[in-house]
Amino acid sequence: MTLEVDNVSRTYLGIRRNGTQQVAALGPLSLTIPSREFFAVLGPSGCGKSTLLNVIAGFEKPDTGRVTLDGKPIMSPGPDRAVVFQEPGLMPWLTVRENVEYGLKLRGIKAHERRERAMHFLKMVHLSKYAEARPHELSGGMRQRVAIARALALEPRVLLMDEPFSALDAQTRDLLHDELQRIWIETHVTVVFVTHNINEAVYLADRILLMTAPPGRIKRLVRVPFARPRQKTSSDLSIFATMLQKEIKEEVDKVASREFDPDWTPATRSEVLVDPAAEI
Amino acid sequence: MSSAIRMFAKKLAVQIVFAGVLLLAWEAIVKVGGVPPYLVPPPTSVFAAFVDMATSGILWQSVGLSLYRMAIGYGVSLVLGTVLGILLARSWFVKTTAGSVVLALQSLPSICWLPFALLWVGIDERAILAVVVLGATFAIAVATENAIRNVPPIYLKVGQVLGAKGFVFARDILFFAALPEWLGGMKLGWSFAWRSLMAAELIRKDSLGMGRLLEIGRSFNDVPMMLAAILVIIVVGVTVDWGVFGTIETKVRRLYGLQK
Ligand SMILES: Nc1ncnc2c1ncn2[C@@H]1O[C@H](COP(=O)(O)OP(=O)(O)OP(=O)(O)O)[C@@H](O)[C@H]1O
Ligand SMILES: [Mg+2]
Repeated sequence: MTLEVDNVSRTYLGIRRNGTQQVAALGPLSLTIPSREFFAVLGPSGCGKSTLLNVIAGFEKPDTGRVTLDGKPIMSPGPDRAVVFQEPGLMPWLTVRENVEYGLKLRGIKAHERRERAMHFLKMVHLSKYAEARPHELSGGMRQRVAIARALALEPRVLLMDEPFSALDAQTRDLLHDELQRIWIETHVTVVFVTHNINEAVYLADRILLMTAPPGRIKRLVRVPFARPRQKTSSDLSIFATMLQKEIKEEVDKVASREFDPDWTPATRSEVLVDPAAEI
Repeated sequence: MSSAIRMFAKKLAVQIVFAGVLLLAWEAIVKVGGVPPYLVPPPTSVFAAFVDMATSGILWQSVGLSLYRMAIGYGVSLVLGTVLGILLARSWFVKTTAGSVVLALQSLPSICWLPFALLWVGIDERAILAVVVLGATFAIAVATENAIRNVPPIYLKVGQVLGAKGFVFARDILFFAALPEWLGGMKLGWSFAWRSLMAAELIRKDSLGMGRLLEIGRSFNDVPMMLAAILVIIVVGVTVDWGVFGTIETKVRRLYGLQK
């Protein structure tokens, strides 16, 4: 199975000082993401990362090009491409387990099998104790784990994640990075993971797409050469992240010089304290 | 005894004492202060009037009839208002055409239609029900529309990913996501219908009803009966408003984690 992004581009009608006009948000861009790959998308804010993910998910139609999964073009959203959003989006009227089960129920899977499968994935995110709790009784990090379990329970062919941890505090995020690495090693599900966080991408991904300033195109595709399980604290990872940080800084500066007031100038290279943990 | 129960008992005791003191003071002022009892009767005569109404059966008949009218009128407006609200939220055409009409009618107290009813059909059962229906329908429609429009867009996306489309999405997700606000609209609709009914019953001469009890009292210059009728109207109103709607709303909001 492969996910094929073929010459995809997207423009939006944007409101500017001189009236509305078409604003290019993404591409054109082509990618091939092989089965079982953990693929991260990294780029400056507004470069079209979410747009790319939404096109793959089927929420948005590209203006040009198409996305195919196993050669079949993607027309609309569906359970074969599960999405984890920045917010958990759990249904508060259902218990945690029922939330995980709901997608299976729609597929006509029998009650006891559904339950077994839900419990299996809740166990995977260490939440089986909370199966009968309501979402509002959980912390933000726990809710996001339920959202991941719900997505995994669909047994999707691709798991799409749009900044899934960016609303969480640093400690919880670290914990979830470890969880996600472990889950990925266990399941080897294909993941497309959008993020602002370079360390996160380096820690988790097989390959990283660095996107250009908008309209987002491929600046570089980077293979992360480290075996798993990886250690957050490993110096190899931070050296690698620092290297990426420099490339991304160029794109961020491009965005800033376009968007900010004209008196803005980029800090010169020597002044920049390269901090790969910084969000871009 | 847990502290929550103790707090509750304390609150109840304070409230009972307060009510007792209030009634005693009222009785004392009327008896001692020389207020003419035909203008402000003491609580004991109000209670006596209440017992009279209860024993003669006129009270139960009136409460029954008013609640029956509410059941029919409010039931109809719940269906109409909800359907109209769904159309307003989902159909561009309905919103564009009927939208402003509904908003305009919603701001008009439905009792303003009574003079028309007098002209067209006279004050009969149809007129009373029409006023009740008009009172609640538009409020429920507007609340239903807002409840649907305010459903967070994330649920639409989540539904699509999980495979909930069309009717299944509406039944399993949209309905529950809109439920708390829709319940608020139902409660508002009830209180509008209730106000309209009391006003309409005041005017209708040839039938009973809680509003009518007030008017009967007035025609006999029987102020104790009027006050007793007012108290009955308050008690029934509060029972439904808090006891029924309030309880359901609180249950749902707790379940959703919207309130402690
Ligand atoms: N629905 C929309 N209508 C108009 N413009 C949009 C819409 N969605 C996105 N855009 C524009 O498209 C561009 C790319 O947006 P997108 O959300 O994909 O960026 P992003 O890379 O995900 O940014 P961030 O990292 O801040 O989430 C932006 O310039 C944005 O203003
Ligand atoms: Mg985004």
